[in-house]
Amino acid sequence: MRQYRFHAPTTFEELFRILDAEKGAEVRYLAGGTDLVPRISRERETIPTGDKPPLVLVSLAGLGLAGVEERDGEVRIGAMTTLSDLQANPLVKAKLPVLCAAVGHMAGFSIRNTATLGGNIMNASPAADSLPPLMVLDATFILRGRNGERCVKAADFFTGPGATAAQADEILVAVSVKAGSGSAAFHKLGRRAAETLSVVNAAAYVEVENGVFTTTRVAVGSAAPTVRSCRKAAQALEGKSATADAARTAAALVVDEIAPITDVRASDWYRRKVAPVVAARAILAAAGIHDEGR
Amino acid sequence: MKHIVSFVLNGNPVEAAVAPEHTLLETLRDGLGLTSPKCGCNHGDCGSCTVILDGEAVKSCLVLAMTVGGKRIETLEGITPREGLHPVQKAMHEMGAPQCGYCTPGMVMASVAYLRKNPAPNLEEVKEALSGNLCRCASYDKYANAVVAASRGEFGAMSKGGV
Repeated sequence: MRQYRFHAPTTFEELFRILDAEKGAEVRYLAGGTDLVPRISRERETIPTGDKPPLVLVSLAGLGLAGVEERDGEVRIGAMTTLSDLQANPLVKAKLPVLCAAVGHMAGFSIRNTATLGGNIMNASPAADSLPPLMVLDATFILRGRNGERCVKAADFFTGPGATAAQADEILVAVSVKAGSGSAAFHKLGRRAAETLSVVNAAAYVEVENGVFTTTRVAVGSAAPTVRSCRKAAQALEGKSATADAARTAAALVVDEIAPITDVRASDWYRRKVAPVVAARAILAAAGIHDEGR
Repeated sequence: MKHIVSFVLNGNPVEAAVAPEHTLLETLRDGLGLTSPKCGCNHGDCGSCTVILDGEAVKSCLVLAMTVGGKRIETLEGITPREGLHPVQKAMHEMGAPQCGYCTPGMVMASVAYLRKNPAPNLEEVKEALSGNLCRCASYDKYANAVVAASRGEFGAMSKGGV
């Protein structure tokens, strides 16, 4: 049987000492555990085949990474903030309402009490619902490693399913977002309303001046190996009148920026069909355009 | 290797010997003998293992037992009075919500945790609060209606705090 070990460091120095001592083992960081714990359970329910190195669980709960604060005009969300706390936070509600809306679509009530924003980010699932909003908000991820902190933009962070720009000994400590003057929206298409993974999700951020789209960002999830920032669609909006037609025309371009697969939730064909629709709905909602025709 | 973890269970300090890979659900059922949290799916989908951890409803199959040191945990055993039933239990029972009953402990715990913070919810809010709890008998409406009825005091007064 596989060996499991558990550590709960209370300082980063202690954390790095644990990593040094556990060289050769498989190390997994434990945030809320809502993804990692069932993986461990599944592994234990399966008849073992071959030898696996010990699995070392390093809890990040003692590092003081939970909480939301305003710092230098930016909203800084600690990586260990639970989704429920994020959703109820007055600062996030006021400055980043799209994030609250997206969290409301994630899993169900009781999982949100345990799951963390940092866990959702570091899992790097292509279907993660927090990621399209963070991308269109142009969020910055703050990583802490042995040589201090560094920042990576959300759009540059994801390198594949479950893969990020973070090194094995770097911890996501916080997400920092500067609230823009525009507004953002999130739209999710799932197989049902609650406790479901996205078939396709999308977020849009738009600034509209005198009825014209100025700065815009669009991101589509669950339709490529990573959540994609759709620059062509965003560029097609800029300078156009803020109308439903302009939104739909631009959203049609997201098909060129996604690479969906067929999985248990939907086929690649279906995802290509619905991605522009989901993206259009996000853009329309962000721009506050009520489209009677749809 | 097992570790001793101390926490408060239904108001009483307890110690449990747990392995790093053990879930809170395993520890409650197999280690401490409390069988109200049910193991339905063991992967966080069904909600039948819901307990209250530091005032919040959580799925105990998704929580590692090693992480609950010093915390307060409530199960159905803790909220059920010595005589009779908790108002939420009474409402669900009298309004015919449980069919097979397997999801009921989780439904009760999710509802009780929610009502402590939201004492006067409407039907839609209750459905949202119970969105993580599956009922394979599909008795969802009856559960939601029962929780609203309990919140209105139709089945007795509820205490605000936990045990």
